Amino acid sequence: MTDRRNDEGAPRRSFLKLGALAAGAAVASTAAQKAAAQAAPASTLRAALDRGKLIVGTGSTNAPWHFEDEKGQLTGMDIAVARILARGLFDDPNKVEFVRQEPAARIPNLVTGKIDCVIQFMTVSPARAQLVNFSRPYYIEGVALLTSSKGKFKTHKELLDAGAGAKASVLQNVDAEKLVAKALPKAQVMQLDTQANAIQALDSGRADAAVIDLSTVGWLVKRNPDKYLDSGFHYETQLYSIAVRQNDHDWLKFIDTTLNVNMHGHQTDLYDQAFRDFFATEPPKRTPGFPNI
Amino acid sequence: MSGAFAFVVGTIPFLWQGLLMTLYVSAIVVVLSVVVGVVFGVLLAYGPWWARWPLRAYSDILRGTPLLVVIFTIYYLLPFAGLNLQPLPAVLLALVMFKTAHVSEIARGAIQSIPQGQTDAAKAIGLTFFQRLAYVILPQSVRRFLPPWINSVTDAVKGSSLVSLVGIVDLMLAAQQVIGRTYEPLPIYLLAAAIYFVINYSLSTLSRRLEARYAYIRE
Repeated sequence: MTDRRNDEGAPRRSFLKLGALAAGAAVASTAAQKAAAQAAPASTLRAALDRGKLIVGTGSTNAPWHFEDEKGQLTGMDIAVARILARGLFDDPNKVEFVRQEPAARIPNLVTGKIDCVIQFMTVSPARAQLVNFSRPYYIEGVALLTSSKGKFKTHKELLDAGAGAKASVLQNVDAEKLVAKALPKAQVMQLDTQANAIQALDSGRADAAVIDLSTVGWLVKRNPDKYLDSGFHYETQLYSIAVRQNDHDWLKFIDTTLNVNMHGHQTDLYDQAFRDFFATEPPKRTPGFPNI
Repeated sequence: MSGAFAFVVGTIPFLWQGLLMTLYVSAIVVVLSVVVGVVFGVLLAYGPWWARWPLRAYSDILRGTPLLVVIFTIYYLLPFAGLNLQPLPAVLLALVMFKTAHVSEIARGAIQSIPQGQTDAAKAIGLTFFQRLAYVILPQSVRRFLPPWINSVTDAVKGSSLVSLVGIVDLMLAAQQVIGRTYEPLPIYLLAAAIYFVINYSLSTLSRRLEARYAYIRE
């Protein structure tokens, strides 16, 4: 059932548009034949090229991944990756339209053909890979402990030494207790409904450390160096990839190729700049010779 | 404290476009649902069976379904039937359909609450059906229609925040976007709540005035 829907996702989009334009059935069928001749095989790659812009599903409420800057423009690592794809397609990083969506809408919007791909800090998992195809990863996320410069405990060692005297706030999750225990085996755990509220608990002194995404820790410490500290302990890994509809080899292959060229090849400028801007880290040096990719 | 105040004031421009979207969506939903809903309500009260039965089913199904499910059905299920609507038309259609179901019931109830004697008296002086409706039944029903209808209007304003689920930047999503950038949830949520309160408090004040005005018509 799911596979069938995914099969039909890509061609439906172009058919629909034509269907809306055509007044009669006869007109519709000739128009559809023309489209089929142009776009055979019906890949999203061909559809995006014909359209002249890329349509990307992403969010707007999570720095440093996808958020509005002080001018109200979408920016972030996910947005930079979308621009990398647009440059690959049209030689113009601005030919991209962003469809704002909740994380829960990532797969539905993709499967119903509303977007060409999802670039929205999407963690690769085998369960999701049964519904969509994932590109190569463009980032590996981790977990870290954010502490307050006004707090009792600032480093991971101080938190460990405090034992059960330390309180850690974390995003509510089935594995939240285990996640905290891996870093602070004895600490008291405070589960909260959003990552922002976990940070709020640290701000208001209810928690000594917030157990949150490594990228968020980097972002907050960079922006508020006198307010927040990185305790120095980083652990867990999860892969972030671009998701596309299944059975579209050309499109998936194009995305992988473009990411490889922009992460390891001769066009690393956009990726590296985003890496510096959003993670406050220098991107790794690439060396000629054996391809470590 | 002045720093926090300056911060909240600084976020207002970001919320402004969202507020306009919230007002726009609410206005469209309220106007369309009252026009269609009153017609449906009249049909529910006086219509022939072939008009009443489908409307009865429509109103019962829509009123018994969570608004979220209606929005997702139109946005995600209709594409499989060949109708792939853009986010704004899709969500407006869902909100109007949902609100119309409620308004039609409010209208039907208001009309049927007018005693049969009024209709009989109007018939006795020779008024036609449409004259009875226009001069006797509807003017009296307005009084009974207004209070529940204003409740449903404030509900529409609050319900409009669900448009953010399909990525339309209304007041709620605009607030979340500022939080996503600043990681300062409390002041922003308070500001958004205050704005919703101002809108809805104005509406209920307006409603009290309207009710006071139409109260003159009675006995």
